[in-house]
Amino acid sequence: MSRQNDGLEFHPTLLQRFLDALYRLINRFVVWHRLPTLLAAVNLGVFRERLRAHNLYHAGYGIPESSDWSPGKERWRSADGSFNSLDHPRMGMAGARFGRNFPLIECVPDSGDALLDPSPRLISCELLARRTFIPATTLNLLAAAWIQFETHNWFSHGLPEAGNEFKVPLSNGDDWPDPIDGCMHIRRTIPDVTAREVWLGATPTFCNTNSHWWDAGQLYGSNRARQMQIRSGTDGMINLGADQMLPEDPRYPGIDLTGFNDNWWIGLSLLHNLFAREHNTICSALKQRYPTLDDEELFQRARLINAALIAKIHTVEWTPGILAHPALDFGMHANWSGVASRVMRAVLGKNSEAAYGIVGSLTDQHSAPYALTEEFTAVYRLHPLIPDNLKVRTLNGLPEATYDFLHVQGWHTRELMQKHGFNNLLYSFGTANPGAIRLHNYPNFLRKFEKIDQPLMDVAAIDIMRDRERGVPRYNRFRELVGKPRLQRFEQITSIPGAAAKMHEIYKGNIDRVDLLVGLLSEDLPQGFGFSDTAFRIFILMASRRLKSDRFFTDDFRSEIYTEFGMDWIRNNGMKSILLRHVPQLGPALEGVNNPFAPWNVL
Amino acid sequence: MAVTIAIPGIMRLVYIKTPDEVLAVNDSSVIERSLSGRGGLVHRALASKLEVFRTLEGDIWPAFRDRLDPMRVAHQRALDEALADRGMLLQRLAPEISELASYIRSGRSHRIPGLVVQQAVGRLFFPDYAATEESYEAARTLQTWLSAGPLRSRMLKRSGTLQRALDHIMELSRGNMSCAHATALAMDNIVKSIHLMRKLARSTDNLAMLGTQDAVARTLRAPARIIREARDGTNIGSIRLRARSLVMLSVEAARCKRPDPGFGFFSSSSWNRCPAHALVPALLAEIWREAKTDTGGRA
Repeated sequence: MSRQNDGLEFHPTLLQRFLDALYRLINRFVVWHRLPTLLAAVNLGVFRERLRAHNLYHAGYGIPESSDWSPGKERWRSADGSFNSLDHPRMGMAGARFGRNFPLIECVPDSGDALLDPSPRLISCELLARRTFIPATTLNLLAAAWIQFETHNWFSHGLPEAGNEFKVPLSNGDDWPDPIDGCMHIRRTIPDVTAREVWLGATPTFCNTNSHWWDAGQLYGSNRARQMQIRSGTDGMINLGADQMLPEDPRYPGIDLTGFNDNWWIGLSLLHNLFAREHNTICSALKQRYPTLDDEELFQRARLINAALIAKIHTVEWTPGILAHPALDFGMHANWSGVASRVMRAVLGKNSEAAYGIVGSLTDQHSAPYALTEEFTAVYRLHPLIPDNLKVRTLNGLPEATYDFLHVQGWHTRELMQKHGFNNLLYSFGTANPGAIRLHNYPNFLRKFEKIDQPLMDVAAIDIMRDRERGVPRYNRFRELVGKPRLQRFEQITSIPGAAAKMHEIYKGNIDRVDLLVGLLSEDLPQGFGFSDTAFRIFILMASRRLKSDRFFTDDFRSEIYTEFGMDWIRNNGMKSILLRHVPQLGPALEGVNNPFAPWNVL
Repeated sequence: MAVTIAIPGIMRLVYIKTPDEVLAVNDSSVIERSLSGRGGLVHRALASKLEVFRTLEGDIWPAFRDRLDPMRVAHQRALDEALADRGMLLQRLAPEISELASYIRSGRSHRIPGLVVQQAVGRLFFPDYAATEESYEAARTLQTWLSAGPLRSRMLKRSGTLQRALDHIMELSRGNMSCAHATALAMDNIVKSIHLMRKLARSTDNLAMLGTQDAVARTLRAPARIIREARDGTNIGSIRLRARSLVMLSVEAARCKRPDPGFGFFSSSSWNRCPAHALVPALLAEIWREAKTDTGGRA
């Protein structure tokens, strides 16, 4: 393991070994989410340690060291994410390869015809296509936009290029409007053309065009050139127009200029504008307290603070919002700031993540160099969150308007923002429900989607193909590899009426062929959960890892780096305070709302 | 017909020995060469046996690489090309062919026949390859390692014999893993063939009467068994494989039922065809021919 994992090894403590054995026994009789809250939270901690030991695999860096480095820059995040780890400077930088959560020999795609079996288009039509909109009633639409906002921070495989497409045969009667020789063409993921290490075997590798770190790269870009493009050059601020909105990207009319603006739509525009404003507010406050700081220093410090704030919101607000289980709520707060028990802190000691939180603890890569993984990208396929329509409500009682989603994305975005305004659109998102992450709830406009610079796409079929071509194991093996038992019958996966029979038919009775996405969308959920327990296992591991591996959330999460002001700002703010700071008119809508990702009051 | 042996926690093994089934399983896209070690104690033990063929840099011998592994493809292509000029290669092996022919004819040899075979195989890669008793012993150790039971395996490992054997073979092969595999493991089938030829030659008139093609057909041997893993459950023809089954392909038993001389080399398969599929029969034919020639007027 050490050879492939760049010398990193996991060393469990005696207590961890004991708890691991104990919970193996307990879980034979009770699943974690049926345990009392505290026991369930400890159970999640045990899962995390187990996953840290067995589910982190290095796939090589696939990139040379960054040349954009000089002494002194270790005080802040580099534009491309390099030198976050000073011992492993390529770790997590933009362009580095995705890692894996499973042993490399498990991550080999099917060969030949098996890769297209069963047809991803058939799955799109028969299992994924939305029949009627199923809302997620405990969430608002901002929660859907948020996760895309975050994934744009973490990863991108780049825009697929023409040539050597998958040719998916279309069945008779398929209404796909753009067939080529009776097939639907799907472009392949951009291949990794860097030299392969001998130990990679048959596992395909792909590069992340974004930095892997939780560094708000979606706002600030993943290279220095992009970063300079979005900056105003004065007092560390991001360039905003006179209306306090992001300017237009000169290359893509209708789309805002920001760090990463792929797959642009109004939800992303809202969050990018909100956090660009927050960045500038932080800059102003820093400037006021530390008048000697120059533009670069102000920008970089504000970026650190803003990125930490985004990470905090994701950890203690978004995640407990979408996974509304008391153990999760407890666990995510413990991840950020530890448990609020003096006794436990005294017993577990100052180096304990559980007692004091991951943030501010010692950096640890556990058993592999940090990288986001292909499996992580696979479990973040959450397109059912997107509804078919957006109802625009107004704070001042003007008439409402409804748009289909095609008209709130791409080059329509800025026009819509200008027409209805930032405040009204935020209010509309706060009061609308996203879709439930379930089978038969995939938005149909995405199944016939025209994206800038890309051919007509069935995104649902593409989602299926992406997992297959990248060697992500199918559902049943995925379960096994995250420590859950394989299932023997389709009825054990789901109780959605008719789904098991339909899956049985499409997968010709072979449960081991069920695609990961289909399994995740059909799985019966623990109480309060917005997505499957199987996907959640990857979240348990990677959500903590994004913090624990990052020097700026651990060793260097201190006032010398962030400033005293910055530490206070992170401690005292959350999504609600940010919303109210920049749009105070939302006060009545947010009154009494505990979690800003839950539905707001309709005024 | 496939036979399944399932002992929960220990193993799930599917034994396959009919030619069509062996070929179908070998060609199935869901059957892998690499072993995960999941499924039971035997699975774990077998996976750890293969792991010793991995170098410190993480490279593994080509015969243990998976179908889609680009390095396997590259190794196979390079070896195909290197072994394409059979005439030149057989000329290079003239001394070894002569020595083996003499053994077949007379039953006497200055050196162990296996050692001569190892040298012949090694010289396909390096013209100055020189096998020794130590190198042959090292090859025998590696062959034993693959088939040994738990106690013997442990002894080989704990005593350092296994590692010495690996180091010796790798050193002699100058880091060329195709050469290492050929001179340590693959050559065993040729050794078996040579002994069978000697057995044939001992019988009256066989050496004079039997044509080279007949002799080769009667003595060519395939690997007795090779092991694969079904990562997921699947049906291949009438064979039902459950997830994490070990699949044992009894290639030699299947070859006996199929007159095709290329069967043991998977010569009809596109992905794992042995690069020596044409060379080995040609080498054996040349040895038999030379053994015949020297019988002269006694025939």
